[in-house]
Amino acid sequence: MFTLALSDEERLIQDTARRFARDRLLPGLRAHERARGVPRELVGEFAALGLTAGEDLGAFGRVLVLEELAAVDAGAALALDAGGLAQPLLDAAGLGAARGRGVVIEDVEGRFHARDGRLAGEHPWVPADEIAVAVVLHPERALIVHEGWRLTPIAACGLEAAGASRLALDDAPIAATLEDPRALRRARAGIRTAVGALLVGAARGTHEYAMRYATERTAFGRPIAHHQALAFLIADLATAVDIARLAVWRAAAALDRGESAEWEGASALAEAAEQALFVGPNAVQILGGHGFMKDHPVEKSMRDIRTLAQMAGGRDEAELAAAALVPERELGFAGRGDRCP
Amino acid sequence: MSMIDLSIGRDLEAQLEQVRRLGREHLRPLGIEADSRREPVPPDHPFFALAWRMGLGQPLGVEERPAGGPRTGARRGVVLAEEMSYWDRGMSVAMPGLGLGGPPLLSMGTPEQKERFLAPFRDRERPHWAAFGMTEPGAGSDVAAIQTTAVRTGDDWVLNGAKTFISNSMRADWIVVWATVDRGAGRAGHRAFVVERGTPGLEDMRYEHKMGLIAYESSSFTLRDCRVPAANLLGGERYYAERAGFKGAMRSFNATRPAIAAMAVGIARAAYDAARDFARTHYALDRPIPRYQRVRDKLARMARKIEAGRLLCWRAAYLADLEQPNEIEASMAKAFAAGMAQEATGLAVEILGDAGVTRDAYVEKLYRDVKAMDIVEGTGQIQRIVIARRLVGLPR
Repeated sequence: MFTLALSDEERLIQDTARRFARDRLLPGLRAHERARGVPRELVGEFAALGLTAGEDLGAFGRVLVLEELAAVDAGAALALDAGGLAQPLLDAAGLGAARGRGVVIEDVEGRFHARDGRLAGEHPWVPADEIAVAVVLHPERALIVHEGWRLTPIAACGLEAAGASRLALDDAPIAATLEDPRALRRARAGIRTAVGALLVGAARGTHEYAMRYATERTAFGRPIAHHQALAFLIADLATAVDIARLAVWRAAAALDRGESAEWEGASALAEAAEQALFVGPNAVQILGGHGFMKDHPVEKSMRDIRTLAQMAGGRDEAELAAAALVPERELGFAGRGDRCP
Repeated sequence: MSMIDLSIGRDLEAQLEQVRRLGREHLRPLGIEADSRREPVPPDHPFFALAWRMGLGQPLGVEERPAGGPRTGARRGVVLAEEMSYWDRGMSVAMPGLGLGGPPLLSMGTPEQKERFLAPFRDRERPHWAAFGMTEPGAGSDVAAIQTTAVRTGDDWVLNGAKTFISNSMRADWIVVWATVDRGAGRAGHRAFVVERGTPGLEDMRYEHKMGLIAYESSSFTLRDCRVPAANLLGGERYYAERAGFKGAMRSFNATRPAIAAMAVGIARAAYDAARDFARTHYALDRPIPRYQRVRDKLARMARKIEAGRLLCWRAAYLADLEQPNEIEASMAKAFAAGMAQEATGLAVEILGDAGVTRDAYVEKLYRDVKAMDIVEGTGQIQRIVIARRLVGLPR
């Protein structure tokens, strides 16, 4: 019979990440944004906790950590996460933990071309100023490069603490090619699930902030949260966060059971993106004019969420992937006693 | 490996197989037949006797405390409710059993009352129903505003008032009727009475005609100097001396809300299957034709949202089994699932195109059926009030 409780170990992972985010990321929120990164000692401190992408946390442990970090600063979460989204592909290719930041480019528009073991092309945005590995994802394969790029810093909508660059590969030598369809499917699902977790975190953080504000700010003689128009909105935003989290948890649990999780991963990202994109601007709305100002973090979360929802091919690719699977998708319980229906 | 486990287990799967067979052979055909005849399935229909003999009643996640080990009733309840509703939600309410009368009896009733009122339900020869009468013509969501009065006269209570939209009340052995001993006292004045069929003064039973969910009867009745023995005051005098009257009613809602939400999920799932089967046979979904891509997108959205709704229901039921507070989670499940299911049935109609709005189309029935799910057991607006009370202290 299904259970939705975290184990003691999972709670410990969650608490550790939550404390780190609150104590170490929150005080430097705007400073990290301006600096386009988090201080090196913070990266080291976080790595020492054993919660980065290269560690053996399982997909579920990963989503717990990413949500907690992103609840404070999704950009910093990427900056701290070492190989980050590239790690599932490195694992599948047997390349081990990344030696620095990794980025994944879902090459939706066919900008990259491989020839004679080399890869060339340009991408308008990756959320990093420095990287150790880049992975270009094509429908049937993943191409991994460890050198041969040019990163030109740019300004991005959000996630500033992660950095932001235009990436060009100038006949970069291909270090590894991953073509195994199942491994690719699982890696993609892992990437989408991780982005989903970041979206859940960012949405939760901004919703909690706006909800607190709404109980303290008064208008027309009572807390604005006690006007039904906002009370209902706050209820819907809370529901949105929980829906997104459950979708992400389900995908992570499927990955940890060794399933390809193609549907679950695509659904998790599509759901998390839709819900977070609902939460982000509405959290700003709850704060009204204050929400639009940099004095409060909700404007940052709105931009972060918009930016996150583009990653890994974004909502469009996730929805298309799910749509491609849907003609065969069974929602009933028949024959599914031992796995998630 | 995570502790999160989203499997339902082999035992429940076997039970679901029974429900599936029942659904395919009886629930859906009877639901469609009732819909086209515009009449509820009568209580003497042989199917009810058959189902009752098989031990199948309404699954609402109600169980008495097990001797040992964790409760599983709420979780089994949401899964079974979804499956029953998938086949026909109207029929799942029409099924014999305690229905909504069960939770207040089980949570508030004295041992003597439980024994007395549950006894007929142990008879498997003839199907039995119970009902729950709260709603009045002038009091729906605002249940504290009920106007039916209860006055103590000697060894009896005398009830006067009117109840409306009460499921299965015409065929019920007994109805849990809510009344007030003091209209000015709000919830503190509420009392629950078990009113048995044939009690003089229980009058004017009449069907209400609905847009959908025709298979089960919704009826209204009048209480005119209806004398109920004092022994039928649910919980006895002491229960109310502790001023728990209204909480009793609310607790019964909390026990059933996740299962009601799961019924919306079941209807949405039926719409998904109907639309997908239609699309498979009428459209070449693998061809890059814009209309077909739209159909696939809609199906994918339906599937994703159905699963999201299911997970919310499961979470609320899981907490109920742990006997942890689940008010927010149950209301989230109910509010989301009902809205989602309306969207899903609407998308299903769109996928069928013009055929989708004909009475021959199953999705057309589902589109009418599903609207009630955002109204019964607390409208979507009430659910949001419940959530906001808990989250931000929205005052009453």
